[in-house]
Amino acid sequence: MHADATIDEPAVATIDPAMEMTGIGKRFPGVLALENVGLTLEPGKVHALMGENGAGKSTLIKILAGVYQKDAGAIRIGGVETDLRSPRDALRQGIKVVFQEIALISEFTVAENIFIEEYPVNGVGSISWKTIRRDAAALFERIGFNVDPAAKVGDLPVSQQQMVEIARALAHEARIVVMDEPTSSLTPNEVALLFGVIRRLASLGIAVVYVSHKLDEIFEIADTVTVLRDGRRISTKPVGEHTHDSLIQDMIGRRIENLFPRSRGVARDDVVVKVEGLSTDSKLKDVSFEARAGEVLGFFGLMGAGRTELAKAIVGYDPIKTGRITIAGQPLSPHNTRTGVSLGIGLLSEDRKTEGLMLELPVLQNASLASLEQFARAGFVDEKREKSAVQAFVDRFRIKTPGLGQQIKNLSGGNQQKVLLARWLMRGLKVIVVDEPTRGIDVGAKSEIFALIDQLAAQGLAVIMMTSEMPELLGLSDRIAVMAEGRITATMSRDDATQEKILNAAIA
Amino acid sequence: MTKFLATLLATSAAVAVMSASAIAAEMPKKIGYVTNYATHEWYQNVIKGMQDRAQQLGIELEVRDANLDVNKQVSAAEDFMSRGVDVLIITPVNEEGVVPLVRRAKEEGLPLVLEGNPVKGMTTMVAICDYDTGYHAGVEAGKYAKGHLGGVAKVMNVGLPLLSATVLRSNGFMDGLKTEIPDATMVHDLDGGGNPDRALEISAAALAQNSDINIIYGINDSSSQGGLQAWKASGRSQDGLLVVGTGGEGLGFINMMNTEPSYQIEAAMFPEKVGFTAIDAAVKLFNDEEVPQHIVSPTTPMIGSDGWKQYYSVDGTTRTINWDAVNAVQPAEQCMKTAADL
Amino acid sequence: MSEITQPAKSGPVAGRLANNSQIVLLALLVVLCIGISLSAAQFYSVENVIAILRQCSLVLIVGAGMTMLLIAGEVDLSVGASLAFSGCVAMDVTNKTGSVFLGALAGILFGGLVGLFNGLVVTRLKVNSLIATIATMMILQGGVFLYTREAVQNKHQQPAFTDISTGYLGPIPLPVIIAAAVFACAYVALRYTTLGRYIYAVGANAKAARLSGRRPEQLKLLVFVVTGLLAGLTGLILASLMNTGQPTAGRGFELTVIAAVILGGTSLLGGRGTLLGTLLGVLILKVIDNGIIILRWDQNLQMIVPGVVIVLATYLDLVRRRADAR
Repeated sequence: MHADATIDEPAVATIDPAMEMTGIGKRFPGVLALENVGLTLEPGKVHALMGENGAGKSTLIKILAGVYQKDAGAIRIGGVETDLRSPRDALRQGIKVVFQEIALISEFTVAENIFIEEYPVNGVGSISWKTIRRDAAALFERIGFNVDPAAKVGDLPVSQQQMVEIARALAHEARIVVMDEPTSSLTPNEVALLFGVIRRLASLGIAVVYVSHKLDEIFEIADTVTVLRDGRRISTKPVGEHTHDSLIQDMIGRRIENLFPRSRGVARDDVVVKVEGLSTDSKLKDVSFEARAGEVLGFFGLMGAGRTELAKAIVGYDPIKTGRITIAGQPLSPHNTRTGVSLGIGLLSEDRKTEGLMLELPVLQNASLASLEQFARAGFVDEKREKSAVQAFVDRFRIKTPGLGQQIKNLSGGNQQKVLLARWLMRGLKVIVVDEPTRGIDVGAKSEIFALIDQLAAQGLAVIMMTSEMPELLGLSDRIAVMAEGRITATMSRDDATQEKILNAAIA
Repeated sequence: MTKFLATLLATSAAVAVMSASAIAAEMPKKIGYVTNYATHEWYQNVIKGMQDRAQQLGIELEVRDANLDVNKQVSAAEDFMSRGVDVLIITPVNEEGVVPLVRRAKEEGLPLVLEGNPVKGMTTMVAICDYDTGYHAGVEAGKYAKGHLGGVAKVMNVGLPLLSATVLRSNGFMDGLKTEIPDATMVHDLDGGGNPDRALEISAAALAQNSDINIIYGINDSSSQGGLQAWKASGRSQDGLLVVGTGGEGLGFINMMNTEPSYQIEAAMFPEKVGFTAIDAAVKLFNDEEVPQHIVSPTTPMIGSDGWKQYYSVDGTTRTINWDAVNAVQPAEQCMKTAADL
Repeated sequence: MSEITQPAKSGPVAGRLANNSQIVLLALLVVLCIGISLSAAQFYSVENVIAILRQCSLVLIVGAGMTMLLIAGEVDLSVGASLAFSGCVAMDVTNKTGSVFLGALAGILFGGLVGLFNGLVVTRLKVNSLIATIATMMILQGGVFLYTREAVQNKHQQPAFTDISTGYLGPIPLPVIIAAAVFACAYVALRYTTLGRYIYAVGANAKAARLSGRRPEQLKLLVFVVTGLLAGLTGLILASLMNTGQPTAGRGFELTVIAAVILGGTSLLGGRGTLLGTLLGVLILKVIDNGIIILRWDQNLQMIVPGVVIVLATYLDLVRRRADAR
């Protein structure tokens, strides 16, 4: 097994950088993606790479991975100047990138995936499956994983799949491991496990590049932080010299005075949503709550607590087993989005790509999807009226798009989310359910989404927000409901809420 | 006329001889037939002919369909063998696939008649002569062209180059035509795929390219129909056009001869007669009689809008073969040309 | 930025045509026509142009439905088998009732029923449409022989029946008029109506459409039925053209239709495509088909050339898109 050498070697006590990038430039037609960017990685250290979408992080990582070729600058690995001409080349030089999209073959076993680049062969030239399984097991033991090497990758949870990717890096004598937003789909427990592995890698003398949006994680795991903005390096500092605010300021180039603006007054008394004894086959057990006009009701829960299931049930998307849902006094027929929408309840889904966006279609169609009938006469769409209505929202929400005809897939996550919000607001809702409204969205755009949610409540909508982000929950909600295993385990007002109370209820 | 009388005399004599020998001989009790594609009109008519003849001779006939699947064909034949039929008749799905069957039948001493296509090691095969069929129709077409088309023959061949049988028909047609009109030309040689909609489509293009075409030859009824319909769709009058079809399966050609003034010649292949002949060959093999390797099943051109009435009568949607007339058609001793000559 | 996927784009027709991938197809068509006519003047004869248009009509009528179906994210491979069966039904019913109107109606409705069946299997039983409609194709190809053992002959001899395919309205053949009408309706529906918008939406993201209060299943069912009706209509015209109901007709027709639609830039993944593209795709394929005969080239090229053209056109479109994206 190739990995043995790397792992058995004691961490080299040297300050020679594992890799040094200087003056890196990369130009795409019409865009300067990177300009004079430097990055120095030290063995045994975790180097965080931060920046908003479009800042140049992924371009830099792809150059490291050999996917893109740099236009300017130099890369030195172990002091030797080198070119990374292809992903294979990068791998040979000891650089392993774990991308967000997992690149494993789900029908193969864990062990098969780990050694896929080069299977050990036995005397007669056929693949030695026994060796593969044995080597994989040995590798896992060294880095403290608890994964069955014979399990099929497709059957494992995402977090374990990520571990397999990392193990694959070690099987290749990687000196540098790059992780691109590895925690975006992990539960807190899994994140903790991952951090353990990262620390272990560092202790083996591997240089780790950690890309993430999540500030808390950076402060927990990183030794050094480099911030990119608009293709340039803004700062490289030990993490200890940063505060939350200074990091955000470096990333977005300005200070955010208040991440959670609040313009709305006190919630009104009229109950708009009433859910009684709701149970579903999938998850929910006897869920009851009310939401009033003008308030933000935050639902918190760990992964698998049933937040998304609740969101989908109360808008009529999923079937329900028992229970009653009323919107402004009218009963909602379950498993029928048509009545839900006509009663005035809409869902901003957590999964923008698969449940919200029509990626191939322009901004216009994406925005007007739920309200098209308003612009139609006898089934014919009055495009002029439609366009001016959509344009009004584009202006009001400050959606950055070259035009209404732009395909929505070319917009940033934050702007996509705003278009999807506009889709609902063009209809005039009474209730909006927002499920993880800022997932995968830049810090700068986050505050805008928060401000929009606040405005919606101020206009008298009932906002039901599902979230797993504690700051978001505490910053935005008027009342908080905590879910665990399909039930509501606690409800509290914002003033009574503490992190501890909420987490206790979520684990219950 | 004298030729006709001679033929009549000869055939009636032949029929008498044939039936006499058939009755005198010992009859097999049971014959099994594995066809290759019973859905096709041709094979339905072959089966019909077999049934007619088997009934006449008091033989039990059982038919299985391979549905174009060699494996199915082999297992059906093996089933027949193990159940002890007296003679086996097979229309091979493909020649290679049934070679083991031929070998096994020989080993077990089971008489085996092939229909349609030859197979290595076979004792005998019953089939029409594709070249001759086209040839005789060509001769008649030449005569018609002399009488009605001013002796000019510009042919559009709606053919099927994929199969040697259909190429033989087209070649035969042209050769026969040239015996009457030596400077007859094939203006367009098309691949109509043997199906009517494709034939129609390509014929439309060919007719547009060559406006001097005056004879449409189709290697089967679907092809001639496609060619004729393309002609009609282009808005041409049928004056000065001759359509010649081949096959004479089903009611399609009868309907066309009845209603389309240009559809004057049909090279009839009498699939029923093929079935009939196959049963007779089976009886001969059963009695260890000497048979040629290729037993020719007769074909003949049917001429004029009433030409078919001599051989068939139609009642509603069923047609009935007139055995006396068809049996009177004398088959050739052997084919003028076969696939080996291509 | 230009995309063919924008039914909402404004501007004059010429401008809309000019700034998207259809320009490639249009150029290809022009080159083909000029090239063929240079070598064979008969290409532009009235007779040949009419022959091409008549063939195009058959493909375009079904192609209009197929385009909508692909945009909605589904496909129907049973149209070839369905039109053969429909043609037999149309001829048979006309024979039995003596009424061309009833026969035509029966043929078209039969196609619609096949579409309904496909739609129900796909939307209710959740069978993938590729598989479901292959199954339907097999059922129909076998079933038609239970219905009629041989081609259904024209026994009624009513001129109106043959006029459906060979008649003219002024100088224009009837099938071309029918195809133009079908095309115009589909074009307007797809581009200017809420229905069209929802077809795009359902194909682009069925879940999003459902969350917005649409019913993707019903919409898909509708498009299946429309495609089926159009296959029935085409079956009727083909039966009229061949003057028989041919149970073996239409073999491979579905592939010609899908090839034309894809050549026209419609995505197999749904949510993307235009009818103008389909029109150009049909014209290109049929001009190639015709040109090979007119040029007296080897007819095997009738399969090869379109295959090459589809790969080439798709590749060019990809190149153009990539250039656009930068």
